[in-house]
Amino acid sequence: MNEPIIDITDLSKFYGKARGIEKVNLEIGEGEVFGFIGPNGAGKSTTIRILMNLIFPTGGSARIMGLDVVRQTKEIKRKVGYIPSDANAYSYMDVEDFLNYLARFHDIPDAGIRITELSKLFELDLKRKISDLSSGNKKKVSIIQSLVHKPALLIMDEPTAGLDPLMQSVFFDLMRQENQKGTTIFFSSHILGEVQMFCRRVAIIKEGKIIQVEDIDTLRKKQLKKVFIEFGEPVNEITMSIPGVVSLATGPENALSFMFSGDINELTGFLSGRKINNLMIEEPSLDEIFMHYYQI
Amino acid sequence: MNYNLFAREMRRNTASLIIWTVILTLFIAGTMSIYPVFLNNQSKIMGMLSIIPAEALEFKGISNIGDLLSVLGFYAVNNIIYMLVLGSVYSIVLSSNILLKEEYNKTAEYLLTRPLTRSEIFRSKLSVIFINIIVLNLVTSIVGFLSIVLVRKGTFSINAFLILSLYTLLLNMLFAAAGLFLSVVLKRPKPVTTFCIGLVIILYFVFTISKITESVAKIGYLTPFKYVDTNVIDPAYKLNPINMIYFIGFTLLLMAYSYRLYLRKDIYT
Repeated sequence: MNEPIIDITDLSKFYGKARGIEKVNLEIGEGEVFGFIGPNGAGKSTTIRILMNLIFPTGGSARIMGLDVVRQTKEIKRKVGYIPSDANAYSYMDVEDFLNYLARFHDIPDAGIRITELSKLFELDLKRKISDLSSGNKKKVSIIQSLVHKPALLIMDEPTAGLDPLMQSVFFDLMRQENQKGTTIFFSSHILGEVQMFCRRVAIIKEGKIIQVEDIDTLRKKQLKKVFIEFGEPVNEITMSIPGVVSLATGPENALSFMFSGDINELTGFLSGRKINNLMIEEPSLDEIFMHYYQI
Repeated sequence: MNYNLFAREMRRNTASLIIWTVILTLFIAGTMSIYPVFLNNQSKIMGMLSIIPAEALEFKGISNIGDLLSVLGFYAVNNIIYMLVLGSVYSIVLSSNILLKEEYNKTAEYLLTRPLTRSEIFRSKLSVIFINIIVLNLVTSIVGFLSIVLVRKGTFSINAFLILSLYTLLLNMLFAAAGLFLSVVLKRPKPVTTFCIGLVIILYFVFTISKITESVAKIGYLTPFKYVDTNVIDPAYKLNPINMIYFIGFTLLLMAYSYRLYLRKDIYT
């Protein structure tokens, strides 16, 4: 890897005695699409807010493009686009005024053209008052403002929250295009599916500590499914003798539930000869994944 | 300072400045228009005022009803309520909200992630505070001066008028510095307007109590109103250097400390 575009070393943030993050270490290379995943309260936003100099670390350091996030934040913010997880635009402005206002801080000549392009892509009416926007449209404003100055690095904190599936698709297509043009993407989410779909590498944070950094392919191989089967026969006569079954629980009545990390074909083969009233296979919550793979 | 931020803040606060300025100038001009009627009926009015308890008069800023006969004394009494108290309310509300509202309105996530330093943000917003308070004081003083000129029956000391106006400006600035300080020491953002208005009124109330109750006279020194000399009809009326040092010193101290705190403040929304 060349010099990392984000280089975080032993970064800590404590709120008095309460832990925010503790000795976080991360290196993200130029051009990467890097996922940052963890349950709510794990420390994702705290890490990002330190990177954006909204809050100050209590220990360690972080550099973006070789620049210190505390002392050289102005230079960093020229080159970084940020989508906050929860923010409001100035309610008395209309969308166009707001986006132009933010763009003027970057002193870019073609901001108006870029704003028009992006608003068309996201089907956002520039003349609407901010106060009249739905949460989904507010998120679109947030996405557009992060891209107007063509940043080299995009830091996104739960960027798809509030977007409908169609707009999520538009968003991810656009992000892929931006990445192809060279933009590095740091993508924080608590939704495993979208991180798996979009990112190439991922860091998993839990209780303020990075517990795993790995390629998304490796994570996929560890893919865990949550399985619920309601049999049409007494469950005590059934033995789940296939590999990959963990946390097996019985009930109610003739039902079994378990986590499954094995070959799905083996599971369907096992079930094929049995009478089944109901079958559900779903993605487990992050907490459930952590319980099985990342206990520390 | 950042011009983009400064210009937006100026625009955003214009309506409020105009409303406050219009209301205060109407109060001042309206009250001064009563002065000729007051003079023409002075024996009756003085008789009425003499039966009002001294405490009640003191709260209105009237220490000596004889002061009201002088046009400048009449102006100063009204100025205490309108500009010293209401001007200070305007100043502290403006300054306490100008940084804090970005946090509790959750707009700080956008502003503070622009290529700006905290110092530029602070200085831009501080400039807006200065300009708004100066404009308010300037316009109300001009209207006050013109009102005095129009209703006076004799001469009055322009120097005394200017000194009183300067005291008013300094008091307003001190409250602005206090509001700014309050907004940066708050760890979790929430609106503080009601608290700020209450603070000014309570301090004024404490100051009044200290004037009318000898046993607690010294607590008046805990309020900034004590350091505003309104005795304009005293021929020896002049700027008191200790009062000047008090106002300028505390204002600069609070602003400098607020600046220092803001540079390292964790911003939560």
